[in-house]
Amino acid sequence: MILAIETSCDDTCVALVTARGEIRSNVISSQRVHDRFGGVVPEIASRQHLSLLPAALSEALELAGATLDDVTLVAATRGPGLVAALLVGFSAGKAVAAARELPFAAVDHLHGHLAASFLEPARLEPPFLALVASGGHTLLADVRDHGPAPRLLGQTLDDAAGEAFDKGARLLGLGYPGGAALERLAVEGDPEAFPFPTAARMRGLDFSFAGLKTALLYKVRELGETEAERRRADLAASYQRAIVETLMIRVRRALEQTGATRLAVGGGVAANGALRAALAGLGVAVEIPPAVLCTDNAAMIASAARYSTASSFPDYLELDVYSTGERPR
Amino acid sequence: MRVLALDTATALTAVALQDVDEEANACLRDVVDLVAVDEPALGARPNHARRLLALIHEVLELSGAGWAAVDRIAVGVGPGTFTGLRIGIATAQALATSAGLPLAGVSTLQSLALGAAHDRRAVLAVLDARRGEAFMAGWSPEQDPLLDEPEWPPQVLSPESLQRVAAQVATQAASQVPARAVPLALGDGAVRFRRQLEAAGVQVPPEDSSRHRVSARSHCRLAALARISAVPVEPEYLRAPDAERTSR
Ligand SMILES: [Zn+2]
Repeated sequence: MILAIETSCDDTCVALVTARGEIRSNVISSQRVHDRFGGVVPEIASRQHLSLLPAALSEALELAGATLDDVTLVAATRGPGLVAALLVGFSAGKAVAAARELPFAAVDHLHGHLAASFLEPARLEPPFLALVASGGHTLLADVRDHGPAPRLLGQTLDDAAGEAFDKGARLLGLGYPGGAALERLAVEGDPEAFPFPTAARMRGLDFSFAGLKTALLYKVRELGETEAERRRADLAASYQRAIVETLMIRVRRALEQTGATRLAVGGGVAANGALRAALAGLGVAVEIPPAVLCTDNAAMIASAARYSTASSFPDYLELDVYSTGERPR
Repeated sequence: MRVLALDTATALTAVALQDVDEEANACLRDVVDLVAVDEPALGARPNHARRLLALIHEVLELSGAGWAAVDRIAVGVGPGTFTGLRIGIATAQALATSAGLPLAGVSTLQSLALGAAHDRRAVLAVLDARRGEAFMAGWSPEQDPLLDEPEWPPQVLSPESLQRVAAQVATQAASQVPARAVPLALGDGAVRFRRQLEAAGVQVPPEDSSRHRVSARSHCRLAALARISAVPVEPEYLRAPDAERTSR
């Protein structure tokens, strides 16, 4: 069995997955301590990871009905992510492996999001086009095999899609994280009320949400407090439509460019109803794993570990984490 | 009792494996006295993430007996750099779980203070806390840093406050009959704040003295006396995260 640990952001995750890709346990300890700061605070996230990890590990073993004796491979997220947060799970993962001289797989977080699609029982086989949209990343990848180096077609140049949701929600006074609250509010609004930008004229497959966020800010100011409050649902619906359209423009382009007939969607934004509705109209097969596998989790890291090169003991003892940029594009 | 100890609170990556007797003295016979220390080049960032497990592996290999002969793991809980503490504790916690061994958290300041034991004088353990501040704990002349909680508990101090507290320690020691030797300050913070400490009447050994360096050997002695609890070991941060300090 594969034991995997994921601590790249603010979720403390431990999972046990079989070599065939069956999930035995998938523990996610959400920290919920960052809300009052309006964003994830790396130092607080890292402290929480250290406190939560021992219990998450024993819970994962218990739920799987397993002990460490059943573990044949240990995996942990190496990056990209918050370095201080990554170091907690990565250090623990290496140490669990080292004490038993087990092999260890250092997993790329984005490979993990793609590998969520390789888990049973709803396993998806390459080739397919993948869209990953979350609070931390937004990217399109041409997935031709299971390996850790898919062809990245595009990624966000500024904010991530989930970040755009949360920032918009904050501008509308919905608190943090407010992506889900914005979606609920949008249901009552008119998505055509305000023509927010979708970076449609930007060529290629990269994403940008900074202009959209600024447009909402200006619109709220222009309307004034009372009017903005009165039209909050319209603002939310139009803003959400612009995020979805920003994503959809690139998805359509990528489908055209690659000729892919199947699209896998991951990341927390995959739970958004408006996005799901838009994807359903694409005319290709759209696969969205269960919500728990879309947001950050360790089962996807275990899945990716199955297709990564594991190091045998003691070759991994000196491995370190990475934040961003060191992974070849 | 054979103890494997590690510390990552300072720039040093320190690992030791020792046999310790019931009085927490290193055994004279049948000694496994292995110490590995990695010191980053001046100005370079600590290398704990890369070096810690490699040093542990090295020490266990040299002992010839591996994990099977280890009775207990000890880890320095600081105070020290936040990320360093977490690498050390996450590693120690996972090793203990995976190897099925008890884990003892040890105060890095207390371990440092053992460098002055048997001196029968007050001792201040002082670590550089960065941002121009010091982490400090102090033991009076009647106290034994091996056994006693420090009379001046661990705290983070500005240079001025450090000087004030050091002067208190020195005054208390001088007022005793018979008068004790002047207090001693150890640690990289003692070197950094030598001026304030000496002005307060506290002695600081030369900069190159090994007693300023955290030693995982001393951790082994402390760990042999420590009570093991089922509660996970927590770092002694002493400082709140910046976000919490500014939001107050
Ligand atoms: Zn993610």
